[in-house]
Amino acid sequence: MLKYLAKRGITYVVMIFLTTSAGYFLAVSSLKPALLEQERIPRPTPEQVANSMRLKGLDPDLNPWERYVDWLTGILTRWDWGRSPNGAYINAEFGDRVWISTRLFLASIILTLVIGVALGVYSAARQYKFQDRVITSYSYLAYIVPAPIAYFLVQLGAININETVGERIFFVTGISTPGLAPGWAQFVDMLAHYVVPTVAITLVGWGAYQIAQRQYLLDNVNADFVRTARAKGLTRNQAIARHALRVSFIPVAQSIAFTIPAIFAGGFFAEKIFAWPGVGSWSIDAISLQDVNAATATLAYGSVIFALGAILADFATTLVDPRVRVQ
Amino acid sequence: MSSETTTGATQPARPDVERLHLAGLHAPTDAVLSVRDLNVRFNSENGAVHAVRGVDFDLMPGKTLGIVGESGSGKSVTSLAIMGLLPPTAEVSGSVRLNGRELLGLSDKEMCKYRGNDLAMVFQDPLSSLTPVFTVGTQIVEALTIHHPGMSRAAKEARAVELLAMVGIPSPKDRLKAFPHEFSGGMRQRVMIAIAIANNPRVLIADEPTTALDVTIQAQVLEVLHTAQEETGAAVVMITHDLGVVAGMADDIMVMYAGKPVETGAVDDIYYNPRMPYTMGLLGAVPRVDVAEKSSLVPIEGMPPNLLHAPTGCSFAPRCPLASDACLDGEPALAPVGGEAGHAAACIKSGSLGGSVDVHEVFAAPPVPVSRFDAIPREERSTVLELTDVRKHFPLTRGALIKRRIGTVKAVDGLSFDIREGECFSIVGESGSGKTTTLLEIMEFHPDQDGEVVIGGLSNKQAADTKTKARMRRELQMVFQDPTGALDPRFTVYEVLAEPLQNAGMDRGAIRKRIMELMQLVGLQPDHVNRFPNQFSGGQRQRIGIARALAVNPKLVVLDEPVSALDVSVQAGVINLLDHLRAELGLSYLLVAHDLSVVRHISNRVAVMYLGKIVEIGAVDRVFDNPRHPYTRALLSAIPVPDPQLERTRERIILQGDLPSPLQAPKGCNFATRCPVFAALPPAGQEKCLTLEPPLEPASAGTDQQFACFFPDGELDEDMLVAHEPADQHAP
Repeated sequence: MLKYLAKRGITYVVMIFLTTSAGYFLAVSSLKPALLEQERIPRPTPEQVANSMRLKGLDPDLNPWERYVDWLTGILTRWDWGRSPNGAYINAEFGDRVWISTRLFLASIILTLVIGVALGVYSAARQYKFQDRVITSYSYLAYIVPAPIAYFLVQLGAININETVGERIFFVTGISTPGLAPGWAQFVDMLAHYVVPTVAITLVGWGAYQIAQRQYLLDNVNADFVRTARAKGLTRNQAIARHALRVSFIPVAQSIAFTIPAIFAGGFFAEKIFAWPGVGSWSIDAISLQDVNAATATLAYGSVIFALGAILADFATTLVDPRVRVQ
Repeated sequence: MSSETTTGATQPARPDVERLHLAGLHAPTDAVLSVRDLNVRFNSENGAVHAVRGVDFDLMPGKTLGIVGESGSGKSVTSLAIMGLLPPTAEVSGSVRLNGRELLGLSDKEMCKYRGNDLAMVFQDPLSSLTPVFTVGTQIVEALTIHHPGMSRAAKEARAVELLAMVGIPSPKDRLKAFPHEFSGGMRQRVMIAIAIANNPRVLIADEPTTALDVTIQAQVLEVLHTAQEETGAAVVMITHDLGVVAGMADDIMVMYAGKPVETGAVDDIYYNPRMPYTMGLLGAVPRVDVAEKSSLVPIEGMPPNLLHAPTGCSFAPRCPLASDACLDGEPALAPVGGEAGHAAACIKSGSLGGSVDVHEVFAAPPVPVSRFDAIPREERSTVLELTDVRKHFPLTRGALIKRRIGTVKAVDGLSFDIREGECFSIVGESGSGKTTTLLEIMEFHPDQDGEVVIGGLSNKQAADTKTKARMRRELQMVFQDPTGALDPRFTVYEVLAEPLQNAGMDRGAIRKRIMELMQLVGLQPDHVNRFPNQFSGGQRQRIGIARALAVNPKLVVLDEPVSALDVSVQAGVINLLDHLRAELGLSYLLVAHDLSVVRHISNRVAVMYLGKIVEIGAVDRVFDNPRHPYTRALLSAIPVPDPQLERTRERIILQGDLPSPLQAPKGCNFATRCPVFAALPPAGQEKCLTLEPPLEPASAGTDQQFACFFPDGELDEDMLVAHEPADQHAP
């Protein structure tokens, strides 16, 4: 198993390298930070711009290959991912933002999974009954409503609560209130900031898992092996819980591992709307600010997360399905 | 999600209550399972389907009841109703008593006390009946845990090992940790039987337990069931469509048709003295592997009735050649027939259907067709297909990026045979023996193939251009196993049949004329050409498949299991049609079938394949009556014959294990690992079998029978021979 995972790991490292390199070439040949510099007032001379860029390692006069070699050497020898046109260091910026993104999404991913799978099982057990219809209709609705609108509605709801109570219980944007002393007050403040985005992302997210889990379980509820289990003397519910559930979880486990990277790297709507400056919003900003190194770094981050997800999917599948265990 | 076996919204009316009461009083008190007036209704979009309509039977301890019927006759629904495993939407009424306790009306939870304990079941498809994510051991132990929560872990494991050993799984202790996908189909069915008998059930229901298995494996599994019954003393309900399978096992038979028992009785009465035209037809529709005499099979025309509407007359009347107006007047009840105790038939004419009535006359079986080629000696007829040393080897590789070759799968290994005009040549063998690969190689038409395939004088070595390929293809057409899958559901029959003709460049008028001809040829109504395949029954669809193959007037038709997906009564009609077409059009057939009875009935010559090689070949009567190769002998002895007396005394060769994987094939004779002769040979002889490959040699001068074995007359190993003493199983 370890050997197998190591093999997969190497494959993914190669893949990440190729994606990131290709991304760098694309970015370096299409993003021109020097052009933005020229819109400053007072307008700097082209020499000044070129000089300032050169100092930040973004020399526009070098050809893409030379810049790629410089960039790669920096990463490989010093783990230095370069600088932004505004002078900021990618490494430092990235560290802050990854932490923010992780804080924003981790809790909601776990909640989404647990609630989605649990509701999927619950609704499958009550197929076509009232509860099933309500839950599944909701999931389809969550599918249809664009995420920004749903987030916005949750924000409005939170504001409504604040107004009804007459006190500001929830913060609808931002990470924390600056200037609070560490301790209980800061913890409560963090929670107050945390609740609204977490609830919003969870509410929108679980639908997909609920639908998938319900569908896969229903496919297995009438399977021959469930009938065998009942013929042994298990009640229908016991047979489903012991035999059908695990089999139906195999495809879900795989899809879970692959959606995690999508949420992490693609959560820019949530980050923008709730004003959490994470990786997602950074990747969009990087493109509009013609920031070659930041754009490439977010791309690299996306592929690393994807590879982790894929290895996690392999691992999860092997865990629940003996048929794919490698000898 | 509770599944309650409701006694139904349709409470039995007053007369039924009385009937049940009376039946209850008269039920033998020592019956382990008593079923009275069992009715099952399913609600469908079109209304209630009355799937089981009044089934009564008593099962005595240790006895075997065979329930026989075609698909849709309600036999599986009956068994599921007894087990309480029908979906909650099914309405079940009547009475099912296990040792005197009523089971119908119990809740799912209450039913669990009996299921798997006193009442166990083995299902049809062993591949899907075990949970793929749990080990075999876990699944056996679970059956024990449910009913014996107090049993210690060690005791349960010991019992599981004992059970696996009982059903014949080698090294049972290690195999406990194996997952179902590591077992073959036959092995999984053994595990299913082990689970079923884990708690020494009083009643064991086996629902088509061998239908999905090869004949050699079927013989093994039936043997295991027999052992299981002996060990547990359970009464067995054996559900099957194959009259051969139950002939040797059952004490009593119940024949079901349209949800109702139409004839019940002791096994000998049913087989030798049937009194219901349907039973007679079923028996006449089955080809016999042990009879050379050529007579047409009995076809039962038409389809079983739709159970949405209550029948007003005898449900078999529309298909019965003896039906008269009186038959349409009310459904006949099961009534005792003269003389034999316990023999009852639901037919108003059962009195006149004594033993002397010939079923072929009753059902107007067509005369045996005679081909114009039959009179010409085989050597003088021209060759339509010739294979010379055809090989197909697949490399077996391991590794993801860099593939290492770790072996070769010799799917077809040096095959040579020819087919002459007007003859039917069959290839038989277990699954995995290379039959299908042979067909694919014949249809390949590629110069790079290993070996030469000559079709109608054209060799695959010349088939470089599409024109030659098209010419070869016109000489040879194929009929597929699954008639439903082989027809495009969105093509009308007209479009299906017109396609090959358009390809051949025929004009529209000629196409129309040819299609009408074809429809008549295969016995379909020409005005049905604008229907879609789903508007036809299975047998009719296979007829469309045959018509499609015949459209371009081929010389040779390749038939890949043409009747294995069809019910017995329908199968007889299709076989008769194939026989008729061969004679009338002078066709040659290349038939691949696992059912040796069908092969014997329809073919002239036969080749027996084992692991990619022909081990015996020759005229069908020669090979079947005087088999020389031990594998042929084992195959033939494994086939059950619908003749109870013969079945009871027959000696069977039970091959051990499954077809070996091609990687484990021995250097010398492929068959040595399973050979009953090899097992009994002295070491010197064994050495020869293991090192030298026996060549295909003529059996004797004057016949074309050839076989590949060094010791065709060798003694058979005693351990692989099984014969049941008549007294042992059928004590009076």
